[in-house]
Amino acid sequence: MARFGMVVDLKRCVGCNACTLACKAENGTPPGIFFTKVLEQLAGQYPIVKKKFIPVLCNHCLNAPCVRVCPSGATRKRDDGMVLVDYDQCIGCKACAVACPYKNRELLPQGKLRQGHFKGHLTPFEKVKYSKFQEGVVIKCTFCCDRVDQGLEPSCVNTCPAEARVFGDLHNPESKVSRLIRQRGGFQPMSEANTDPSVYYLE
Amino acid sequence: MTGQTVPMADEEFVMGFRKQNVWTKWIALAFFFGKVGSGMFILAVLLNTPLIALAGLAIENVGKGGSLIIHLGRPERFWRAVSRPQSSWISRTVWVMGVFTLIALLYLAMPQGSPAWQFFKVLALIGGVAVAITDGFIMNDSPAIPLWNTPMLPFLFLLYSLLGGTSVFFFLVYGGWVGVTPLIDLETLETVLIIINLMGVAIYLASLANATATARESLRLLLRGQYSTMFYGFVVAIGFILTLALTLFLGASGGALVVGLITLADLIGHFFIFYLLLLVGVYAPVTGKLTI
Repeated sequence: MARFGMVVDLKRCVGCNACTLACKAENGTPPGIFFTKVLEQLAGQYPIVKKKFIPVLCNHCLNAPCVRVCPSGATRKRDDGMVLVDYDQCIGCKACAVACPYKNRELLPQGKLRQGHFKGHLTPFEKVKYSKFQEGVVIKCTFCCDRVDQGLEPSCVNTCPAEARVFGDLHNPESKVSRLIRQRGGFQPMSEANTDPSVYYLE
Repeated sequence: MTGQTVPMADEEFVMGFRKQNVWTKWIALAFFFGKVGSGMFILAVLLNTPLIALAGLAIENVGKGGSLIIHLGRPERFWRAVSRPQSSWISRTVWVMGVFTLIALLYLAMPQGSPAWQFFKVLALIGGVAVAITDGFIMNDSPAIPLWNTPMLPFLFLLYSLLGGTSVFFFLVYGGWVGVTPLIDLETLETVLIIINLMGVAIYLASLANATATARESLRLLLRGQYSTMFYGFVVAIGFILTLALTLFLGASGGALVVGLITLADLIGHFFIFYLLLLVGVYAPVTGKLTI
């Protein structure tokens, strides 16, 4: 069985946030909610200073703490490793948001979908995209499961102009993600948390 | 920022520590009512005052249950919370509350002194303790936040539960609201519990001084950061120093007003310690690397 994962090459990422925007366009998340974003990190001391860009998203962990703590069973793991939230079952207790060491889950507060980006006036795009969300539940990156089920790549991967994001099957030793991890020594974020993330970084 | 420091990032697009911001006042209130209610119940069972036991049960169910339901993003689906007791401490807490309530009601309904009453008395006491500590396990079960991921928390919940219950009991008895003859000196018990709780909090916070950088950041926020005023004001000054001073120097002889003040001060400190522990919960930077 495939286990979908992503490799993020930090050497290639230029911090353009095209992935952030592509994700917003694909998923139509309400204002202030990002399924993926690019964090900046400064290192060194003046005048020798270096800036790094670290794209973050739900890591779809194999030992996902969010799945374990969910009291209603709304957060589930698919056979292919994707961790998804069933909005109809979520009670909005936010235990998963607290348990996620990466803080990659967001609560969709009451009123957020009516507010939209233009203070009460929803665009046709927002009306279509918001129809799949529910207020009061926790939402997060889905690895663009609808696109992946059709054989496409997640939107952020498809958009990245620097090809810093690579998506594929971690269980296939010949896949591009497996080869990159093997050859470049890919590391998982916060591996000490024992969550076994499906997202790897290359330095 | 230099290579040696890590900022508090919050929601900005920068790498750094991030505060948890989804469990706040309603969870703190649920913990508060859960502990005070179960503490009252435990003490009432030990001192054989069924009316106060019933009041404790009501506080625990209405206060804690109500706060938890208000906290939910979809309160109408609260019943789904019981689905996964095998892995979720929230599910277990709901089960513990339900089973405890059932046992407590059976205990209160039994004729006093009967073998069944004795049996349910023991079960009810165990249930009361379980209710007090399960909230601690909810917090303790979040390894993502090192401040909470310590076995001291459930113990601290139990200590505060006993103190909260004793404080309310103290007020009800010496304030003249309930006419019972306590089998133990409530004033001494109150003083001892305040000192034990003070030591418990001090040991808990001291243990964080040598913990991970993330736990130390939580400690910094609490003791020297944006929450230090609330901590020193509500928890230390009102919750411990004022309560202890009033209990030691005036106590029950000061009359109903002093006893009421002691209880109020204790409950203020009680609420704020756990509210602040929720607010200063901090996550480590995403890559786990503090310097690059």
